[in-house]
Amino acid sequence: MGHDIFEVSINAIKLIVVFLIIVQAVPFLVWLERRGSAFIQNRLGPNRIGPLGLMQLAADAVKFFFKEEFVPASAVKLLYYAAPVVALIPATLAFAAIPLGQPVQWNEYTFRLQGYEINVGIVFVLAVSSLAPYAILLAGWGSGNKYALMGALRASAQVISYELALGLSIVGMIMLYGTFNLSEMVLAQQAPLSYSFLGANWTAPSWLPAWGIFYQPLGAIVFFAASFAESNRLPFDLAEGEAELVAGFHVEYGGFKMLLFFIGEYGHMIVASALMVLFYFGGYTIPGISMADLNQWAAEHAPGANAASLTVGLLTLLCFFVKLALFIWLFIQVRWTLPRFRYDQLMDLGWKTMLPWALFNTILTAALVYVAHL
Amino acid sequence: MPLGGVIFIAIFVAIFGIVILYAASRFGTRRYDPVKFESYECGVPVQEKKDTKISVKFYLTAILFILFDIEIIFMYPWATTFRDFIKSGEGGYVFFSMMVFIAIFIFGLFWEVKSKALEWE
Amino acid sequence: MSADVFLFWFLAILTLAGGLTTVLVTNPIYSALALAFAMIGVSALFVTLNAYFLAGVQLIVYAGAVTVLFVMVLMMFDLKHEITAFTRGKFTGLVKSGTVALLAGILVGAIAMTSDLFLKISGTPEVALGGGDGTKELGKILFSKYIFGFEALGILLLIVAIGAVALARSKGGTHAKQ
Repeated sequence: MGHDIFEVSINAIKLIVVFLIIVQAVPFLVWLERRGSAFIQNRLGPNRIGPLGLMQLAADAVKFFFKEEFVPASAVKLLYYAAPVVALIPATLAFAAIPLGQPVQWNEYTFRLQGYEINVGIVFVLAVSSLAPYAILLAGWGSGNKYALMGALRASAQVISYELALGLSIVGMIMLYGTFNLSEMVLAQQAPLSYSFLGANWTAPSWLPAWGIFYQPLGAIVFFAASFAESNRLPFDLAEGEAELVAGFHVEYGGFKMLLFFIGEYGHMIVASALMVLFYFGGYTIPGISMADLNQWAAEHAPGANAASLTVGLLTLLCFFVKLALFIWLFIQVRWTLPRFRYDQLMDLGWKTMLPWALFNTILTAALVYVAHL
Repeated sequence: MPLGGVIFIAIFVAIFGIVILYAASRFGTRRYDPVKFESYECGVPVQEKKDTKISVKFYLTAILFILFDIEIIFMYPWATTFRDFIKSGEGGYVFFSMMVFIAIFIFGLFWEVKSKALEWE
Repeated sequence: MSADVFLFWFLAILTLAGGLTTVLVTNPIYSALALAFAMIGVSALFVTLNAYFLAGVQLIVYAGAVTVLFVMVLMMFDLKHEITAFTRGKFTGLVKSGTVALLAGILVGAIAMTSDLFLKISGTPEVALGGGDGTKELGKILFSKYIFGFEALGILLLIVAIGAVALARSKGGTHAKQ
């Protein structure tokens, strides 16, 4: 974590800040969801508490904090209490591995704008996301309610089915970039867009960057759809459908325990959006401006090298969060537009549609790379 | 590889969750009512059925997931080294060996779909 | 005491605690969850040996698929009756401890026989891997030296898939016999 006390403490604070970003993003996201869904459904959302209803979830959190705590009589207490805590961990570990901005050079230290830098980045993110079914299973079993258990088994079967399509849809990306490292993938996307087929090059106008979406459109679609299923969002949320199953695996949870589950779910949503931005939309690079140009501009206009580096870091962070917000809005928009899938339709979609398409994408990419040196 | 960072944040999140749950449970009210402790089954009294049939499809889904996951894992080192192999001239050999592997994968998937192993009604 | 040594002992103790919990606890679900924890510990130990890709694969396959299968299947059954059947009696205690001693003796003997000195450390793993993560080296070796094993693994997985479906069907599972 660092070689001396200053670096270790700054890295520790960075990790805590990354965790708090997820926790503090949840009130904002819930507000966005409630107001956004209200406008989609032609009604007003919460607009009384605070300006534009922004303090609604703060009020809700305070209300949750003072709610009565109950444990069902047939529950297994250890697992019942452990499940909400375990639900937080995979989303946080995955989000901390994602580069949010350009590394900041401060005196002789280099601080990366992420929790930690992993050189097998994408394998780590997938590995940690594959620990998500444990929270669901612990909640379902620990509640002592056989309907919660059924909901938990179905939800975890859904999550593991879509993990296959998720893992396979990015093999094409890894082949094109030749690395697992997330920062290198971001930096490889700032060149102007160019295709080369059998030796013939075609370079687009220089404001169009070499984003992943232009190279792997099919992979992007499969990845985005599979990440809906991974975070149990509509149209794949049969396991926690509010109308049909009365909240599925977290039916016996109330108060702050349920809020922790929602922090976990929104955390998975944030991680999925961040990965989408990272792989297919350039990460933290600003389209049209390469990082070298940006560094040079900052070096000319800022007092000292430290401040210049910090400015570039913050600018790229802002760019990343704008792109992230766009994708989270897309998640919310899809939720309130599409109807829910039935469970067998859902599993058929995962095994019989997404997996073959992802496989086709891999084969096509490999053939193109081999034949045409794409 | 910042393993220390990963362990630190995992323990921090766990302690944060435990502390917040404990604080929330201390600050809430406590009014005892036996109905609150029953399992929720949409309001009807709990029906104990000892022989609830749970389908074997969960087991099959999990087993097939393990198998296809292992095959996908094998594609990751192939994807990172594919361009290097092309540069060193052995691209065709690697490409075709992986295509044989993917053909086995596709056959497995095709057989599993055709034999209706994962039909959920 | 450097950070690496401290990290190794911490992870080793956690993994061993997970392993011991797996075999000593009578509730099968706690046992499976402790196994998952031990798998995560082993993955972290792989990271200390600089095998990053292998650590990720261990998490994805073992902790994220195999133990999820165990936990899912165990949660489907009500195993209160079977728990007590296996844990009683002095003779079963003798058999258990005898088996453990035999297996431990075989393991220690194998390690002692294949190294010159017991627990000799010969070089750090970075020397073998040439720095960085080992994925590219792994890919190169996999497709040059072990290509037959790689294809045979694909066929083995196919056989396992067919076998699992056949077993599930023979017990009256899926739609083969209506």
